[in-house]
Amino acid sequence: MPATATETELEAITADKIVDARGAACPGPLLEAKKGIGTVPVGAVIEIWSSDPVTKSDIGAWSGKVGHGFLGVLIADGYERVFVRRQK
Amino acid sequence: MTETQKVDTQKLVFMVLHGPDHPEHVTIPFVMGCAALASDVEVVLGFQADGVELVRAGVADGIQAPGFPPLAKLLRDYRDLGGSLLVCGPCINSRGITAADLIEGAEVVAAGRFIAEITSATNSLVY
Repeated sequence: MPATATETELEAITADKIVDARGAACPGPLLEAKKGIGTVPVGAVIEIWSSDPVTKSDIGAWSGKVGHGFLGVLIADGYERVFVRRQK
Repeated sequence: MTETQKVDTQKLVFMVLHGPDHPEHVTIPFVMGCAALASDVEVVLGFQADGVELVRAGVADGIQAPGFPPLAKLLRDYRDLGGSLLVCGPCINSRGITAADLIEGAEVVAAGRFIAEITSATNSLVY
């Protein structure tokens, strides 16, 4: 699923929840995202931190499969910040 | 079951035939199973042949394939997410394993149950 937000838009987002999955191997970040999104209301945004470079494509595919909004990715220092909006 | 449920419900069956001597081979179906459950797909893990050793209590504790989480953690996540564990009855009998030796939640079944699960699944994979 392609990102739906620009880098500038992502920079402006304050996530409702940060899921720190740095250091976790597949499928850890995905499972943490699944847990995390269940703790925020519909419309809220979670931000998954992952040091595994495949997480962004994994979370993008997962978002499309389950019906959440994949907003995009920002590169941080040694990890990536993946943004997802809960849509259901 | 309503027509809508039939369309929306997907199920995957992963048959695990390898045992603890093949850490990567036995870890991947758990990885896939957890990812599927997280994606709202129903999952059955079926254990046959040497695969039944994996659901003996304590066996998963000693297995970790390079690059993957420990099998014990994946097993815990899999069960927490609601995945099913079906174990071949004749396969445990021939190895001297009893139902009491198995981890909590493992269900001993025979061929008919496996066939029912596989034929009702969206897809099945063998590891």
